[in-house]
Amino acid sequence: MSQAQTMDQVRTSQAELLYEAQQRKIRQFRTNVIISWAVLLALLIYLFSGPIELDTEFIERNALFIAGGIRETLLISVISIVLAIFLAMLAALGRLSTIPPIYALSTFYVSLIRGTPLFLQIIFFFLALPQLGIVLPAVWAGILPLGLNYGAYMSETFRAGISSVSKGQREAAIAIGMTPIQTMRRIVLPQALRFAIPPMGNDFISMTKDSALVSVTGFVHETMWRATRVGRAEFNNLEALIIAATFYWIMTLILTFFQSRLEARLARGDR
Amino acid sequence: MQSIVKISNLDKYFGRLHVLKDISLEVKEREVVCLIGRSGSGKSTLLRCINFLEEPSHGIIEVDGIKVEGGEKGKEHRQLIHDVRLKTGMVFQEFNLFPHMSVLENVIEGPVTVKGMDKNQAIALAEENLDSVGLLFKKDEYPNRLSGGQKQRVAIARALTMQPKVMLFDEPTSALDPELIGEVLNVMKKVAKDGMTMLVVTHEMGFAREVADRVLVMGEGEIIEDSNPKDLFTHPKDPRTKALIDRYRSGEN
Repeated sequence: MSQAQTMDQVRTSQAELLYEAQQRKIRQFRTNVIISWAVLLALLIYLFSGPIELDTEFIERNALFIAGGIRETLLISVISIVLAIFLAMLAALGRLSTIPPIYALSTFYVSLIRGTPLFLQIIFFFLALPQLGIVLPAVWAGILPLGLNYGAYMSETFRAGISSVSKGQREAAIAIGMTPIQTMRRIVLPQALRFAIPPMGNDFISMTKDSALVSVTGFVHETMWRATRVGRAEFNNLEALIIAATFYWIMTLILTFFQSRLEARLARGDR
Repeated sequence: MQSIVKISNLDKYFGRLHVLKDISLEVKEREVVCLIGRSGSGKSTLLRCINFLEEPSHGIIEVDGIKVEGGEKGKEHRQLIHDVRLKTGMVFQEFNLFPHMSVLENVIEGPVTVKGMDKNQAIALAEENLDSVGLLFKKDEYPNRLSGGQKQRVAIARALTMQPKVMLFDEPTSALDPELIGEVLNVMKKVAKDGMTMLVVTHEMGFAREVADRVLVMGEGEIIEDSNPKDLFTHPKDPRTKALIDRYRSGEN
């Protein structure tokens, strides 16, 4: 009896030691990654402060002007993602519909949009539609193709989210007398959304960067447009693009930080 | 006494498979009826036809005076089904609590969303029912923090809070660990004692023998025996019933 007890104790302490060793390994790995990151960043900064000569006077003069585009970039991204979510929801529901024309409409939309380049779609809205007499306000001609494009991609995420809700959940809702619409709105969609929120966050981050494509049209004064404008005007493209890249990178880092916090919170959630 | 559920000449096909064959059945008010039988005998399908989770192919389902003809279509038919569902409470094998809602929210969801009941009134009713299943202290927890037995007790409270005329239990203890079955059966006994009309699909022969007023044995889509539990367990008529009971006896020892 007492021997068995001591055996148990030995086993626990062995398990503890193993766990500790594993944790130490993980911590060490993380520390080394952070150090390597710092070295790479320092190298990059050094590269642009010495060996590659930058026009600091130009940077000082134009950084603020380019930064002014961040507002536009975020504005376009937010409105586009809202539009995309709306379209994605409709497309996902259509994709799950048993009514052939609705199913067809949904898959047709997704296929057409995913089968053509986003760049083409943006230029189409600016240059091709006016030929048909449709002239959209510049910002909207940027927002619509972005929303349409991301909607098509996100519909897949939504569909997976809706499919992840078990049949039993629907049956429980139906059994207490819910209509199909109540079942969707109260039971299925809230659970599907929880499933879909992390990938949606990723899409939003991509969107902030893809919104730079809108700059080619020349009418939306977002970050990329401003960078190319001042860069070309004074033939300081290198400096201008580095400024813009820095801003995009910082935006992405901040959004990624919030995204991972959100993801952690959802993982803790009540599944 | 008045009959709450009346099933007449019910047939159900899954494609060409004939799973329920011309079933007629009446359940009286306050009666507790257990449905037993081998898996695949059609007992769950029969239960699910009563609240139209499965649409019957032919036949008539009548619940508390609402008469619905199986296999019909259209708006009027859907309305009748809706009315029937308000009269029936259902408890599933897999509990099916809504994971994104707290225990209390799960229980008031039906009364508030479906019946349009005042929220405070629904909460009062829900708390009363949660108390009677012994889980009022868990009302703010989320389902993932409950044991299987607790989940099923909440599911029973959720169904009761719709104030149904009849409760349908579809193998309510089959997904539970053996040590959690007792607490659920005890709650079901209590519900029966409070005078609820109940139809229970179960493998728990002990419960059937102790609580049921009638036990129906199903085999190959038919009711092969319909009697009180005492006679059934001592003098089974059909050899299939005898086999079921023998298996239960040998498991008991």
